[in-house]
Amino acid sequence: MAANIAGEHSVERVTKSVSVLRRLYVGALVLGGLTVLMAIVAASVGPFAIPFSHTTTTLLSLVGIGESTARPAEQAIIESIRLPRIFLSFFVGAALGISGGIMQGLFRNSMADPGIIGVSSGGAVGAVVAIATGLSTVSAYFLPFFAFIGSALSMATVFLIASVGGRFSMTTLLLGGIAVSSFLGAITTAVIILTDDLNVQREIIFWIAGGFDTTRGEDVRIAVPIIVIGALISVFVARDMNLMLVSEDEARSLGVRVALVRNTLLVSASLITGTAVAFSGIIAFVGLVVPHVVRLVVGADHRVLLPLSALGGGLFLLVADTAARVVLSPAELRVGILTALIGAPFFIYLLIKTRARMIGL
Amino acid sequence: MSVSDLVNSEMSAAEGMPVDRPVLRVEDLSIGFDGVTVVNSVSLDVRRGEVVGMVGANGSGKTTLLRTVAGLLTAESGEVRIDGLLAAQSRSSSAKVEISNSERARKMAYMPQLAESHPFTTLETVLMGRYPHLGRFELEGSADREMAWRAMERTSVVEFADRKLDTLSGGERQRVVMARVLVQAAELLLMDEPTASLDLRHQILTMDLVREEASERNVGAVVILHDLSLAARFCDRLVLLLEGRKIADGTPWKVLTPENLRVAFGVEGLVEPDPVTGKPHVLLLGTENSGREDLVGAGRTVHLICGAGSGRALMHQLRVAGYTVTAGVLGIGDSDREAAERLGIEYVGAPPFSSVTDDQHESHLKLVEAADHVVLLPMAVGMNNVRNVEAALVSSNLLVIEPPGAGGGIGDDVVGDYTDGMASRLRRQMIERVGEIPESTLLFELARGAL
Repeated sequence: MAANIAGEHSVERVTKSVSVLRRLYVGALVLGGLTVLMAIVAASVGPFAIPFSHTTTTLLSLVGIGESTARPAEQAIIESIRLPRIFLSFFVGAALGISGGIMQGLFRNSMADPGIIGVSSGGAVGAVVAIATGLSTVSAYFLPFFAFIGSALSMATVFLIASVGGRFSMTTLLLGGIAVSSFLGAITTAVIILTDDLNVQREIIFWIAGGFDTTRGEDVRIAVPIIVIGALISVFVARDMNLMLVSEDEARSLGVRVALVRNTLLVSASLITGTAVAFSGIIAFVGLVVPHVVRLVVGADHRVLLPLSALGGGLFLLVADTAARVVLSPAELRVGILTALIGAPFFIYLLIKTRARMIGL
Repeated sequence: MSVSDLVNSEMSAAEGMPVDRPVLRVEDLSIGFDGVTVVNSVSLDVRRGEVVGMVGANGSGKTTLLRTVAGLLTAESGEVRIDGLLAAQSRSSSAKVEISNSERARKMAYMPQLAESHPFTTLETVLMGRYPHLGRFELEGSADREMAWRAMERTSVVEFADRKLDTLSGGERQRVVMARVLVQAAELLLMDEPTASLDLRHQILTMDLVREEASERNVGAVVILHDLSLAARFCDRLVLLLEGRKIADGTPWKVLTPENLRVAFGVEGLVEPDPVTGKPHVLLLGTENSGREDLVGAGRTVHLICGAGSGRALMHQLRVAGYTVTAGVLGIGDSDREAAERLGIEYVGAPPFSSVTDDQHESHLKLVEAADHVVLLPMAVGMNNVRNVEAALVSSNLLVIEPPGAGGGIGDDVVGDYTDGMASRLRRQMIERVGEIPESTLLFELARGAL
C-alpha cells in the first residue's frame, strides 16, 4: 500500500462535480431552448402585435418546416424588421458574454470586462470618427471597420502600459484601462462638441447609448460571421485558458504556449468586442455580469464557461432588447441604458459580496 | 570523454549494468538578467530513481536554475537535455529544441514555489495534470478521473474535492498542486520548495511521496528545500549553490559540513547523525555576529589545544555560542593559526615546525589555567609540539575530543603520533581521567555544564 498523507483513514470519493460534456450539453439545451422561446416572444411583441401562432409558423417556415399562417404584413415585419434585430441582439450579447469571459480569465480578475480595459471606448472613438467624417454613409463596412481598429488600438495600448517583462500587473491594467478610457471618452466628447452637424451629434449620442433600432439584415450578415469565428477561436484555446488562470508558469510547464494563446485571445476578444460595439454602440455590463452568473452555476472551466457565456449573453441581450422595445411602447428605451440600469446595481452587489477577493466567487 | 567518464563507464560495464542515460542533464548552464549573472556554468545530472536536493541561500540561483530547466526562462549559454533530447534553447546557441511543448510536459512536471489561489475546484485542478496527455478537444475520461482520485488520496485532499482553491489554505493548496504533479505522470519532477507551506507531518509525508515516485515509478526528481535536515533525510544527493555556482554535489554527508554551512549560508551549524535515519542532521547554532549577552558561553573562556585545522570549526562555533576562545601553541602556517588570526582569537605563536620553547610553554600554561574549559583536539603530534599535549594535563576542566570516525561518524582519519608513543600515552592517561567525546557533542557538554 502506497503512502497516504492522511494515513489513518481514507476519505470517501464524493463529488458533486458534473463532467464537462454534461455541463455543456445541459447548459446549451436550457439556454438554447429559452433563446428559441424568447425569439418567438420577441418576434411577436411590439407596437404591431403578432399572434404567437403566426410567429411560430413563420419562423418554422423560414427553416423549411411547414407553411406560415401569418398575413403578408406580419411576415414582412418578422422577416425584415424583427428577425435581424433578434439575431443581432443575440449575437452581440453572445460576443459581449464570451469576450467578458475571456477578459476575466485572461486578466485573472472577475471584475474585468471589455469596457473596463478600454476596448469599448476605443471602438466608440473609431465609430465616432467614421460617423463624423461621413465615411459611415459611404459604405456600411466603414463603421465596423473603424470601430474594430479603435478597439484593437486601445486594447494594445492598455496592454503595453500594464506589461512588465512579459507579465501583467492587474492594478496597472485596470488603472491603465481607466486612463485610456477617459482619454478616449474626451476625444468622443470633443468630436460631439466640435461638430456643427446636429445630425452627426444626434447620431453619435444615439450610437453611444447602444441599441438595435437601426438594425438591418446586412448588419447581421457582416457581424454574425465575425462574432462566430472569434468565439470559435477562443473556444479552441479554452483549455489553455484554464491553465493560464491557474498560473502562467504552470500553464507553460504543462505545454501551453502562453504568449501565443494570449495574443490569439486578445485578437479574438478585440475582434468580437469591436464588432459588437460597432453594430450596437456601447452596451454596458453584459460582459461583466453574464460570465459571472454562468461561472456561479457551471464553474470556472473555460471549456464550459465560454460557450455558455456566449449563449447566456445572447439570451440576456435578446431579453433586454425586447424589454427596451416594449417598456415605453410605443416609444423605445435604448438597450444600453437598460443593461446599465440592471448591470450597475448587480456590479455593486458583486463588489460587496466578493470584497477583498479579486478572483473567484 | 574525460578520465572519470571512462572509469565510470568501465565500472558500470564491470557490474553488468547498462550505462543508463540521465533523465536530466544540465550542462554548463549560465543564466542572467539585465547583464547580472544569476546562475554561473552549472552542470548537473539526475538519474532515474534519484532524488536530488537543491540547497543554498536566498538568491543563490536555485529557483532560477529550476525554472530554466522547466523551460520557463531562457539561458544565456549551456544546455538542458531531458532524456537526451535538447529541451531548452540558450541565447548563445543556434541548436534547435528537440522536444515539443506537450512532449516536454509529459516528461517533466514542474511544481512552483507558490500554489496560486484560483476559482477551480480541487478535482478540476488535479485533472489539469492530464491535459498534456489528451488531444486538444479530448475530455478527461474515467481513467484520468481514477488517476486524479488516486493522487488526491495520496496527498489527502479528497475531502476538498469540490472546494475551490481560493477557499483553501496555502498548505492545502500546495497538496492539491502536488496531486496535480503526480497525475502528470512525468519522468522528471522539478519541485520548488514543495514543503514550504506545510506543517511538520505533511512535510515528511510529501517527501515520502517524492521518494515513492522515485522508487516505484523510477522518476528523477530535483527538489529545492530550505530545511537541510529534511533534504538530507530524503535526498540521495544534494547540490549546494552559492552565488549561482555549484560549490558542492554529493551525498548529504559530503555536502552538509560545518564548513559548507559557513561558506554557503553564513551560519554556524553542527552536523550530527539523525537518531532515526542516521542521515546528517543539521543543528543551527547562529551567525558569526550574534554577539548577545544571554548566550550560554557569555563570560566563559574555552581554550583549544589544536593544530593543522583540527580546531578551526570549533573556534567558529564556540564564538557563535558566546564563548571567549583561546588557543594553544600554533606554528606559523598552521591553518588553525590563520583561523585564530582571522577571528581575533588570543593564541601563543611559534615559528613553523620548531619545538615549543620554555617561554612559549609558560605563556601556554597561563592560557590553560585562565580558561574555564580546556579542549584537547585530535591532531598529529611530533616532538616539536608534544608539550602542547602536556599542557593539557594541568587543566582541572579538561575535555578530550575523539578522532573523527571513531564514533560511527564519517571518515577514517588516523591521528598521527610521531613521538614514539609518548603523545598517545599522555592522551590515554587523560581519557582514563575524563573520558572522550565526539566533537559534535562538545557544545552540548559545555552548555550542560553551564546550566
